[in-house]
Amino acid sequence: MKQRAVWGIIALIGALLLHGCAAPEPTQDLLAPTEAQMKIRSVQTRTFDVKDRQLAMRGVIAALQDLGFIIERANEPLGLVTAARFAEPNYYDIVGVTVTVRQQEAGRMMIRANAIYNNKPVEDPKVYQNFFATLERSLFITRE
Amino acid sequence: MAGACLLLSSQLSGCVTPTQPEELFQLTAESPAHRAMQIRYFETKDEAELLSASAAVLQDLGFQVEESVRDVGFLRASKERSAREYGQDIGRLATFVLSLGKFNMPVALQQKIAAALVTRPINPEATRQEVRIMFYRVVWKGDGQADRQYIPPGEQEMEMLRDPVMYQQFFAKLSKAVFLEAFTL
Repeated sequence: MKQRAVWGIIALIGALLLHGCAAPEPTQDLLAPTEAQMKIRSVQTRTFDVKDRQLAMRGVIAALQDLGFIIERANEPLGLVTAARFAEPNYYDIVGVTVTVRQQEAGRMMIRANAIYNNKPVEDPKVYQNFFATLERSLFITRE
Repeated sequence: MAGACLLLSSQLSGCVTPTQPEELFQLTAESPAHRAMQIRYFETKDEAELLSASAAVLQDLGFQVEESVRDVGFLRASKERSAREYGQDIGRLATFVLSLGKFNMPVALQQKIAAALVTRPINPEATRQEVRIMFYRVVWKGDGQADRQYIPPGEQEMEMLRDPVMYQQFFAKLSKAVFLEAFTL
């Protein structure tokens, strides 16, 4: 009898724990340009001294792969790379990133990265600093 | 009792604190090892041939090519397979009995194994090419029941595949296909 009560309590705790992980509610303003997005545009953008756009794109792809991202789509004429990775060690969250490479003037490429964590835009400048640091190294190796 | 503890701890592991995004944009201690496993070099000028041979090898392995961009040397392919295993049905039954019929654990039904491959010349004369491939999989679970709450089917679980043998096999097949030796730096 006593043992049965113990099992009952264990099952109850188990069921309670299951309720702990509710998925967050989606928001309505998915397409609305938020104030924060305007502010972090400069954080998301950086210019590099690379002559060839294709070379810059390949550098972006290599940097993303180094960071463990899976390349999902690439479009050479538009200079677009979309990638994602699982938020290891938990395998339920996804980090997505879209990088655009545009020629600003001769020999200079403007590279912009937008990251999202699940459905939320990432606004932490540190994320972009880390990304561009890796990209810089990748572009530098490519040029050698 | 040990079984019950295991059950509890496996449920607790579902609530891991989410990794901070800035950590995910940083190279980790494992990055160089992953890189070494995923990359091989080939002495060839013909990048297009390397890419099409890679597609052929993936097809041989049962993959369907989903996306390809020649200009940046990119390929993505996937295959769907059943993810059913006897072990998890036994686990499902055990938790069902242990929880006195209150908890019916969802089991994995279907999985998608995918590969993203990129080729790129690594010297200015483009006589040496790098091929990097990454395998990963997404598993879909069936439905279940926790107490009175129904767990709908379709819950996803994703992971990178990091079994070195898988990568070695792929590159062995690729080097046979292009009649070139794959090497590491």
